[in-house]
Amino acid sequence: MPNHLYRLTANQVTCGIKNGQFSAQEYIFQILERIEKVDNKVNAFVLVDKQGAIEKALSIDKRLRDGEAVGELAGVAVGIKDNICIKDLKTTCASNILESYIPPYDASVIRSLKENDAIIVGKLNLDEFAMGSTTEFSRYGPTRNPWNLEYVAGGSSGGSAASVAASECAVSLGSDTGGSIRCPSSFCSVVGLKPTYGCVSRSGLISYSNSLEQIGPVGKTVLDVVMVMNSIAGIDENDQTTKPIRPIATLTSEDITKSNISSKYTADQNKRNITIGLVKELIEGADPAVSKCIYSAVDLFEGSDCKCEETSMKSIQYALASYYTIATAEASSNLARYDNIRYGFEYDPEGYEWNTYFSNVRNNFGDEVKRRIIIGSYVLSAGYYGKYYLRAHIAREMIRQEIKSLFERFDVLIGPTMPILPFKIGQKIDDPLKMYQIDIDTVIANLAGIPAISMPIGFSNSFPVGLQIMADDMCEQTLFDVASFFEKIVDVRRSPEI
Amino acid sequence: MVEVKIGLEIHCQLTGLNSKLFCPCQCDYQGEVPNTTVCPICLGLPGTLPLLNKMAVAFASMISLALGCKVQERIMFYRKNYFYPDLPKNFQITQYNAYGITSIGAEGKVDLGAKSIGIRRVQLEEDPGRLIYENADVNANFYTLIDYNRAGVALVEIVTEPDFDNPKDVRLFLDKVTSTIEHLGVCDIKLDGSLRCDVNVSLKEGKKVEIKNINSFGDVEKAIRYEITRQKTMSIREIEIKSETRHWDDARKVTMQSRTKEEEQDYRYFPEPDIPTIILGDQFISTIKTKMPELPDERKIRFLKDYALSDHVAKVLIDNKELADFFESTVKLYPSSPNEIAHWIISDLLGLIDDIKKEERSLLSGLRIEPKHIAELVKMIDQNKINRNIAKSVLSQITRTGEMPSYVLDKMNASLIDNESKIAEAIDSIFELEISAVRDAKQNPNAMNFLLGKVMQMTRGRADPKITLNLIKARLAKME
Amino acid sequence: MVSKDEIKHLGWLSRLELTTEELDRYVSQIDEIVRYFDKLDTIPLSESEWTYSTKEVSELREDANRVFKWEKLQSLKNRKDGFIKGPKMS
Ligand SMILES: [Zn+2]
Repeated sequence: MPNHLYRLTANQVTCGIKNGQFSAQEYIFQILERIEKVDNKVNAFVLVDKQGAIEKALSIDKRLRDGEAVGELAGVAVGIKDNICIKDLKTTCASNILESYIPPYDASVIRSLKENDAIIVGKLNLDEFAMGSTTEFSRYGPTRNPWNLEYVAGGSSGGSAASVAASECAVSLGSDTGGSIRCPSSFCSVVGLKPTYGCVSRSGLISYSNSLEQIGPVGKTVLDVVMVMNSIAGIDENDQTTKPIRPIATLTSEDITKSNISSKYTADQNKRNITIGLVKELIEGADPAVSKCIYSAVDLFEGSDCKCEETSMKSIQYALASYYTIATAEASSNLARYDNIRYGFEYDPEGYEWNTYFSNVRNNFGDEVKRRIIIGSYVLSAGYYGKYYLRAHIAREMIRQEIKSLFERFDVLIGPTMPILPFKIGQKIDDPLKMYQIDIDTVIANLAGIPAISMPIGFSNSFPVGLQIMADDMCEQTLFDVASFFEKIVDVRRSPEI
Repeated sequence: MVEVKIGLEIHCQLTGLNSKLFCPCQCDYQGEVPNTTVCPICLGLPGTLPLLNKMAVAFASMISLALGCKVQERIMFYRKNYFYPDLPKNFQITQYNAYGITSIGAEGKVDLGAKSIGIRRVQLEEDPGRLIYENADVNANFYTLIDYNRAGVALVEIVTEPDFDNPKDVRLFLDKVTSTIEHLGVCDIKLDGSLRCDVNVSLKEGKKVEIKNINSFGDVEKAIRYEITRQKTMSIREIEIKSETRHWDDARKVTMQSRTKEEEQDYRYFPEPDIPTIILGDQFISTIKTKMPELPDERKIRFLKDYALSDHVAKVLIDNKELADFFESTVKLYPSSPNEIAHWIISDLLGLIDDIKKEERSLLSGLRIEPKHIAELVKMIDQNKINRNIAKSVLSQITRTGEMPSYVLDKMNASLIDNESKIAEAIDSIFELEISAVRDAKQNPNAMNFLLGKVMQMTRGRADPKITLNLIKARLAKME
Repeated sequence: MVSKDEIKHLGWLSRLELTTEELDRYVSQIDEIVRYFDKLDTIPLSESEWTYSTKEVSELREDANRVFKWEKLQSLKNRKDGFIKGPKMS
């Protein structure tokens, strides 16, 4: 049996198990052991479902022994951000207000993963209700960056990125409202995808900002991300905002008849003649330590048959204001339901006047959540709807239009995922506006609804730097082709010493 | 007279649906054990998304068309944000037109004959749950019991322009709208709480006062009258009328100031992000149009034309679909006398129904009457087998026993006395008993009716009145 | 300038009772943030369609009812005689 099974990619795991190189049980024991060993340092997991994981592994092994079919993700250890509901497993959103909440149903993505025989190992840390960019606003304490434990892992899906980087699971699911998958993926040197709006069902994702967010995968390689997408993407009757996906966008109909991948995304590393738009505003706004890294990657692409051209996106100036207006507005309404009457923690309502009871209960929200609820209420309130919310929406439409026109010229748009390198835990926590401003590069894709991926592109001062690639609406396949091509060229995959 | 402006907001539950507006839970919650027709969606559990019911959109479109509204090509939903323990998400998914018309229907018109009433909008929204107090005095409870079975049931809200200037027109309008909804088959109006009405009342140039919690349509008129008097009294005494929400106190029949102040509310409406913009499109709308059942106005025209009914009779029948349907089934069984049938239904049959039942609009439930009964009864009258007085008592018996009129008649042994000699015998004895009345009748032909009455009394109503009257006339003539 | 009363009122609308310390902090932080949002003021108000997601009626849910199976009612609490117990309304 090979050592360090926990370090394998999802693709290697399924192949190894299906080919009989090792059993799902052997693999999952190593994963659980790894979590035990390193998670007290990383703090990526908020709950580990040992029993569930082992049972699933045993059932996969049994079916393989009996010659029965197993799913495409058979045996792969998956971690789930703790704002995605898993039936009969505590789902807290890292909030005191949901500290004892147990959902009675599976999120649609969870059902898909289970059907594909992935092994769900546990729930991952996040900023409370996914509101944050560092995973510091969590009732479980901050998740630490596996590359330097004094530094933030990024957020809000900090647990999702750190767990994969630290090889505590092969892949994970996060959610991305304004960069929450891509930011920590960049900071932790893993691949993270925010799919097109409507590409992946949100049913079972505890809402922060419904019109912006998507569930997406985090993995060590583009191929792993593609494998998870093949399991979770597509129209879902439980989410009326889902759309039919276009997994084979780059293939001609002739290709489809020739191949057997008619309904799957692929990671084709032989993509050529890519036209790349380098977004000026994004690169100019970045720390030189970051932009230097991006430029050297661009040199590599240009030397490999790609056409790279600098381009400008004027509407970016409105992106952050538009994003935070819409996100907080929707959040203020989404979080109204937490009144502790139907579910929540033990606190008998008898004897309390209802307004008092509601206020007492809702005092359990953390500082950042309260702040965003109030900002959201502010921008929606009678006097300000036209001034803020309506204009934010118009700005959003401007951004969408400008991006659309850019994709008439470019296959993909690129820039840094984050304008800065990871910083020390606690460094920005007291200045909300400064914290919001680090989301500037990522919010664009959420406002426009387009897919965007962050992939490791190098290191600067021994901290990871992520490249963000954006593609047109529903063009995930283009994104995968380009990302796999870049992945082959830059080849920076490493594991942190931990 | 001071001018009054009245507007209505009618809430109609779409009880004709199988499932709720946004989830697959059964729509019918009446009589169910508390919190059993619920699921994670209608309880607003974290992570759930609303799944808009296709048929609810169709029903609301039908209502919009029936009320003369334009059905919008694109519709959207909005969130109305406010806290209340009957609201699982602490916001209500509804529709809103402040930023462009996106409600399902708008700009409609309902004809009331002399005037027409504008329909501002028709919109879809979700019903909240129900709060139950163990102690009837709300203030005496230390906790509230909540049943979420009703939460998420589809409601159509119909908002009128403030086009009414008197309570009578309001009543006419409500009757018509009720009948329309019945004809569309989208709502069982007999179910408790399936139709509710809020009212806005203002005096000319005055502030608008909203009255909520009017549980029966019969009380709408009373509430408006009360409120007009209250506001007029205040304006005479030069007390300022505040814009406020008042509650109708069902027991005391007065409007009461509500505890929550309206100005503290700010609903922070914004588009519901979990429901896409729905494109209705021409094809959908034309399909709905072809599927529309006959509406009250069309039916009335047909009643006037096909059955030669009077306007009033047709209106009374059609204002209550149950009656109109009963009428048509009866006519089908006995097509010769539609007018006679209509009269038996709206005067005699309705006369047997108490006011409470009328208010509940469940007219014929509890009566064992069927169209075949009225058909046979009218036929017997037409054939002179029974006179009206006896027919009336036969009818009253049928409604209790469900027996056929001919059977009842046989049992009563009440075949009409058409034997002239038997009637003549009775006339003889009356003429002997009522000498002074006979004298009067000789001078004044109207006094003959008194003698007729006496003969009818003596024969216990079994004498044919026409024959009797002729015999009396002949007898009087002979005396001269 | 965002005022203390405004934040207090918004707190009430959201059923968040803020301490004096929180109130002071939020007033200055939120003031700074909404000043940043004022960027949006330069955008002219125009008709814009809400297009990020559209569906035809035919794509909506069929009107069929289905019973949700609550295996154990662990997720619903405060139960009394089948009802859910809430606070008092006065
Ligand atoms: Zn339900």
